[in-house]
Amino acid sequence: MIPAIGLLVGIVVGLLLQPTVPVWLQPYLPIAVVAALDAVFGAFRSVLDGLFNDRIFVISFLSNVLVAAMIVFLGDQLGVGSQMSTGVVVVLTMRIFANVAAIRRHLLKA
Amino acid sequence: MGMHSAPRRGRPVRTAAEARFRLKRSLTPQRNGTQVMITVLFILLGFTLTAAITGSANDAVLANARQSDLVGLLDDLAQREARLDSENTRLEAARETLLGGDEYAALNEAKRRADALGVLAGTETIIGSGITITIAGNLTATTLLDAMQELRDAGASAIQISDRGLSVRVVGNTWFADSASGVTVSGTALQVPITISVIGDPTVLRPAIEIPGGLVDTVGSGGGEVTIEESQNVDISAIVPLPKS
Repeated sequence: MIPAIGLLVGIVVGLLLQPTVPVWLQPYLPIAVVAALDAVFGAFRSVLDGLFNDRIFVISFLSNVLVAAMIVFLGDQLGVGSQMSTGVVVVLTMRIFANVAAIRRHLLKA
Repeated sequence: MGMHSAPRRGRPVRTAAEARFRLKRSLTPQRNGTQVMITVLFILLGFTLTAAITGSANDAVLANARQSDLVGLLDDLAQREARLDSENTRLEAARETLLGGDEYAALNEAKRRADALGVLAGTETIIGSGITITIAGNLTATTLLDAMQELRDAGASAIQISDRGLSVRVVGNTWFADSASGVTVSGTALQVPITISVIGDPTVLRPAIEIPGGLVDTVGSGGGEVTIEESQNVDISAIVPLPKS
């Protein structure tokens, strides 16, 4: 519950402050957000699988974000930044879909 | 957790009810270190989410544009800059002469500008080189409007539309509507065949209405006929009455 409120607080603060993203961060932010969402859906799934562990969640959240950003950074250095971000987004989206499907199966048995 | 049994860790849920229970339990407040950490992470997630969304909304158009589009945009800007530059030089020169205190030059400049504006606003008659387009057969207001755009794009400085008896000057606020026996232009009903007189460079104006999909094409496919005549003295005599101020 508290994390959910935290999410809301973050969104409200973001809407109120209208932060401008620094240019150097712009390519990585969307990827990092998608990676974080993947971690969140993964966490919900593991709650239902009975495997949830908050320590693992925190570590997977952070490492997801860092690895995703790092891959895109590497892609930028190699000159294939946009393809790399597309690849990362595709993979993460597939994982999100898989996790949501698992959650749905648990919740609705369908 | 009260009456519910102790958390059964390490195995997947068996029923939907148990799944809902676990979800609910995972959402009930617990106070420990990692919970705080998770909350901080979620605050950050919400914040970055909105930041990423508002950030991408600003210049998504340019960021997602293809390279050729960007080159086109850049070309456009460069051309506009060149145009504005030459306009700037012209205006500077005009300013110089005006500041020079030569009343005659000032008068001339004012007159020249009044003439130019009069032609654009349709309050001056004008005779000059251009083309005369005669259209017989079916004609819709849309076709006519498209033709006007094409002519304007081709640098037409004055346009007049007339039938056997009436003529109408085409200016910025001229409108076109379909009518039973032709088109209505700014309230004047014109019968086909109609004649469009255009002042401008004939070598540019003619291709503008002969291009595929242009006026000649459209009217031709509707069974009508278009004839174009180039002339050194196209006479545009219709004027737009000056509004009473």
